[in-house]
Amino acid sequence: MRQFLARPERLVPGVALLVVVLVFIFAPLATGDDLTKFDIYNALQGFAPLGLLTLGLGITMIAGEFDLSVVGTYALGGMLAVQTGQSSALLGVAVAVAVGALVGAVQGGLIARLKIPSLPVTLSTYIALLGLTSALSGGLSKTYTNPAATLWVDKAVGVVFSPRSLITLAAFAVAALVLGFTKIGRQLRAIGGDRRASRVAGVRVDRNLVGLFTVSGALAALGGALLSYSYASANPDPGLQPLVLAAVAALLGGVSLTGGRGLALGLLAGALSVALLAQVAAIISLPDYTTQLLYALLLVVVVGIDAPGLRQAVERALARLRAGAR
Amino acid sequence: MTTANDHRSDAATRGPGAEETELPRSTFRRPRLGLLEAIIGVVVLAVVITGAMTDRFFSLDNARAILAAAASVGITAIGASLIMIVGSAVSLAIAQTATVAAMVFLFTEHFGLGVAILLTVLAGLGMTAIQGAAVGYWSANPIVLTIASGFALGGLATWISGGSTVYPKSTNYSALNATPLGLPVAVYVLVGIALVVEWILRRTTSGRQMYLIGENAAAARAAGLPVGRVTVIAWALFGVCIAVTAVFLAAFNTSATSSLGGTLTLDATAAVLAGGTAIGGGRGSALRTLGGAVLIALISDLLLLRGFSTGQQLLVKGLLVLFVVIAVHLSSRKVRR
Repeated sequence: MRQFLARPERLVPGVALLVVVLVFIFAPLATGDDLTKFDIYNALQGFAPLGLLTLGLGITMIAGEFDLSVVGTYALGGMLAVQTGQSSALLGVAVAVAVGALVGAVQGGLIARLKIPSLPVTLSTYIALLGLTSALSGGLSKTYTNPAATLWVDKAVGVVFSPRSLITLAAFAVAALVLGFTKIGRQLRAIGGDRRASRVAGVRVDRNLVGLFTVSGALAALGGALLSYSYASANPDPGLQPLVLAAVAALLGGVSLTGGRGLALGLLAGALSVALLAQVAAIISLPDYTTQLLYALLLVVVVGIDAPGLRQAVERALARLRAGAR
Repeated sequence: MTTANDHRSDAATRGPGAEETELPRSTFRRPRLGLLEAIIGVVVLAVVITGAMTDRFFSLDNARAILAAAASVGITAIGASLIMIVGSAVSLAIAQTATVAAMVFLFTEHFGLGVAILLTVLAGLGMTAIQGAAVGYWSANPIVLTIASGFALGGLATWISGGSTVYPKSTNYSALNATPLGLPVAVYVLVGIALVVEWILRRTTSGRQMYLIGENAAAARAAGLPVGRVTVIAWALFGVCIAVTAVFLAAFNTSATSSLGGTLTLDATAAVLAGGTAIGGGRGSALRTLGGAVLIALISDLLLLRGFSTGQQLLVKGLLVLFVVIAVHLSSRKVRR
């Protein structure tokens, strides 16, 4: 057990989820309100779009990239689904996912073939996608007038689930199977860990990267599409907040920004932690800034764990202590 | 806990996606930027030609509008290019830092303009210097760190303002909205800051060390360069630039809410990238960033005059930045080979 938890990709999400679940159970006791099944349903509703973004961003982070554009694809997917899916909800989702995958494939192609760092590429694509979304809608929110689809995506299934949260959970299940039981998972970690070595070892780096960004774009577009069905409207500019929360979730999920580390189930734990935390804040009506400070604190811990300089300093201090004791 | 991560401390300071330095990069060999210059040349030519066909584009009023727009983003962008040059990639907390600094300015503004500006600059410097220390001394990852700082500062801004609008107690700030010789004060400050930062980068030891550290932090450390101190200096100057922008933002809006910073984070980063600074560090200049800010302002203005929507302007801006990023990357790679 100790060995199982010794690795940061298991330890960080495990601890994060444990702490948040404990807070989730005990916070209502402290304020006197009872935890209802509806709270869990709501937390999972928040988890649904966040989880898809976290998964998309997280798998690119495992391979040592950072796909900032997911929040642009998310906005575009939501808008396309609303505009093309007024009569057939399925068609809207299909268009959104196809365009999201295409955007991802183009970016993955640029990043892999030209060997450009992903941050500036995805940042500029994010700006362009935001512009495209806004141009498509004339800068306004678009209403979705298909109440059947809106009701369906949020319908309660098995008390606490909804089709939306089940789709997200299914995406995590598929990712866990693919990353855990095929060579793709090992290859992604190899690409993130040492790209040159993995290329030499025969990993098809370019093809993997293109596939990775395609999946990440498709997941983000799917998340945006389902969310705008649920809200019955699409927002042309969601801001950076969804991206930042997804990054928090991925980091709490034990993924490292330097790449080479991370598990699909860790990402799931990270996304659940952030969604539960948001729901706790809503139940006990914490002021907005305390949640922000809490996220900051969590991230500072993550930064500390991942900072090589700090770790060396701590190790040196410990070695001095040990030498002094002898 | 000795993992495979330990030997990648260099990559960690460079941010994600920048790990793949295939060959040792040579320092101080000026890369020829043929492709980049060609693209910028074509863009400028296109702007001039469509500008000539656009009513009121070549007018004094319009030039003033473009310069004012460039100043609102450019001052921060020049600061942001410093941290990109020193290898800290980008800060995702610019808007929040500017918001807190603007609130400091409005809170202290009745003590007199000079005092208020000084305190605001100190606040901005403090906010970023701490982050610079974490990046420089501990090799903390700047992306995660600045996301965390964004939350902390956003929380701070909501907390100190009580979630409502901050109003100044006097109108000392109105001097900042003056337009000597027809141009806003901010434009003069923009040019001044660009020249000062360019001088620091070219003529001071710390400035030149910023390029070396950005090229290769591990080598700089091994060569005995004060990596931590120089990184802190770059971040501190960045904070000063944000604070100056915040002073003008506050004076222009005459109040501050927790969302005052708006899209400054993205706008400033886009201007730095459009100026041709490489995200991996080690290359770039204040004057190029100034050019990037003016170019973006110029194109946005042209599209606005020709009746394009905000969304279409954003789309063009994103594509322009993408092309410049690709061009910078390709031209720098050719030299390395």
